[in-house]
Amino acid sequence: MATAKARRKHKGPKERNSKLQRWIDLLAALLSRQLPASFEELRHDVPAYTAGDGPTLMRMFERDKDELRAFGVPIESVPYGDPPENGYRLRARDFYLPFLAVTTPERPTARSAVPPAGYRALDQIAFEPDELTAVGDAAARVRALGDPLLTADVESAMRKLAFDLPADAMRPGTDEYVLTNPVDEKCFVVLGAALLDRKVVSFDYHAMSTDQTTRRKVEPYGLVFLGGHWYLVARDQAHEQLRSFRVNRITRIVPNRARPQTPDYEIPAGFHLDEHARSRHAWNLGDEAVITAVVDFRRLTGATRAASKLGHAVRGSSNLRQFDVRRSDAFARWLLSFGGDAMPIEPPTLADRFRTIAREALGRYGASP
Amino acid sequence: MTADAALQLRRLLHAIPKLSDGQAHSVDEVARVARTDRNTVLRDLFSLTERLNEPGGFIPGLQVYIDSRRRGVRIANARHFRRPMGLTLGELSALQLGLAMLRAERTPNEYAPIDRARTRLRKAVAKLPADEWQAATRHAEFGAAGEQSHLSVIRDCIRKRRKARIKYRTANAEDPQVRVICPYGLIASRGAWYVVAHADDRDAVRIFRLDRMEEAKQLTAVFQAPEPFSIASVVHDGRVFQANDAESLRVRYSPAVARWIEERERVPLAADGSVTVEYPLADAQWAVRHVLRYGADAEVLAPEAVRVAVIERLLGIVAAPLSGATA
Repeated sequence: MATAKARRKHKGPKERNSKLQRWIDLLAALLSRQLPASFEELRHDVPAYTAGDGPTLMRMFERDKDELRAFGVPIESVPYGDPPENGYRLRARDFYLPFLAVTTPERPTARSAVPPAGYRALDQIAFEPDELTAVGDAAARVRALGDPLLTADVESAMRKLAFDLPADAMRPGTDEYVLTNPVDEKCFVVLGAALLDRKVVSFDYHAMSTDQTTRRKVEPYGLVFLGGHWYLVARDQAHEQLRSFRVNRITRIVPNRARPQTPDYEIPAGFHLDEHARSRHAWNLGDEAVITAVVDFRRLTGATRAASKLGHAVRGSSNLRQFDVRRSDAFARWLLSFGGDAMPIEPPTLADRFRTIAREALGRYGASP
Repeated sequence: MTADAALQLRRLLHAIPKLSDGQAHSVDEVARVARTDRNTVLRDLFSLTERLNEPGGFIPGLQVYIDSRRRGVRIANARHFRRPMGLTLGELSALQLGLAMLRAERTPNEYAPIDRARTRLRKAVAKLPADEWQAATRHAEFGAAGEQSHLSVIRDCIRKRRKARIKYRTANAEDPQVRVICPYGLIASRGAWYVVAHADDRDAVRIFRLDRMEEAKQLTAVFQAPEPFSIASVVHDGRVFQANDAESLRVRYSPAVARWIEERERVPLAADGSVTVEYPLADAQWAVRHVLRYGADAEVLAPEAVRVAVIERLLGIVAAPLSGATA
């Protein structure tokens, strides 16, 4: 026999349908009113809120209301009546998609057909054709990232926009191809929900530097796509530090299911994902002390030219660049890839290490200077 | 709200306005618009109407009519659902992420339509209390394009099928060359942008890295893209290159770096923990640079010419004067 817990977890189709019907009925009940309404008034329009005892039905209503809000339905709680009691309101102009139109040189003032009764309070938003091209290009970029939740959101948004707007006008402007690595859908679903609800997640993480897999417990701050890979930026509770985890190295992810309506942590006000996510080179990652390196760019080839724009200029020299380096070995190997066209000259320890790596590589081929 | 329930509600709030316009719509059409399958559409619609154990006497809810002869479906009594719901915060955030990526690739004089689109989309969102606006939880960038103005010029050339004159410095050349290209498309891969184009001077398709382009100018001359041509034809095993011959590069990576290579190339490790990978060899200079970045942890096994080139480069580094700086 299934346990009560298992039954709750695996809701049958009838239970799902009944919930869906309650949501639709509750939405209709709220949208049919211009003024706030109490639960007692709303329950007359929602059949499921009549069968059962009062407190149970009230809890069911509260849960439905919270779930619809989590879905994005802007149900307001407002004081209502005399004496005041809890009232609920869903304003049409806050809920429905405004009327959308395209302006063109021939029709600079966008107009749509006369809206039906009940929808006349809605605004009209007129897009210009170049804005719609930008929206189409933006949607194409998001689809290319491979995050199933983002893709679902962007598809849904585009379907809504296409309710009024011509789909052709929102096609991407150019044929662009993005190479990304496959992602684990389940992992993204868990991370996406955890980010929205600010819930702690636990997972196994394979750290390439140590070749060890360990269990981590983290507070997710954001997801970042750089260089064809997704990274989770999160505070590692054991290390009490912000870390980046490559998502495709995460397995057995589990969210904290305790107190689902309550966030587990706060993201500090000073944290900005965009700033944190600025792409950094391997030699600039980690916690090691920063050293200042000077590099002599001896030949400006196609390969070295882009590299020579990194770092900072050295006054009085056009071919020297100064770099802040945390991992000198990684930096030396990066410079080695330019095959002598970019040589570190300071500090001496770095210059020596660079030559040592070159000698060791020569040894691999049985050659010596 | 479970993910399934949210998806079902989302599908229904899309479908009901379409189906309540008084016309019969085919289930296939609804499925196509909703990007789902027939069975899901039918299941969603039945879920609305299959009411059990509920008392009568209420205002009738949505009524779904399915005409099996015309395979059409329509919804009646949906006066509160004749328009879709506004954009949710998640939907707006997804589009804003795309617009932010787009903006990062464009020049300042191209920002206006992107910024206007952002402003208008914010007005299309279902209104939430101010304190429910959340900080961005996603950031994405495709990679360095070098000068963004070059990317813009190339994009415009692709759109208008116009040729471009570029000044391009190949990976190993110190002097840039002026070349005329017919840009077919763009590829973003591993943090860099590439233009796939017909190079007039070579009379062949070539790939140009955008951050090696020093100038880009649109010409008045137009071109016709070959039929059939697919941008994907220059993508091989997740890499962007033009494979012209069958020569291959074989590299052995030591156990110290093999696990990174194993993850990237999806090739198995050898018993000693090392890994050997065979790559199509499109550019010997690329091969030299690639192998050098691993120092003694990578060794070219074949072809011999690339082995020799790597050794020559390393000998040059070791023999170079310690301070060759020129002020």
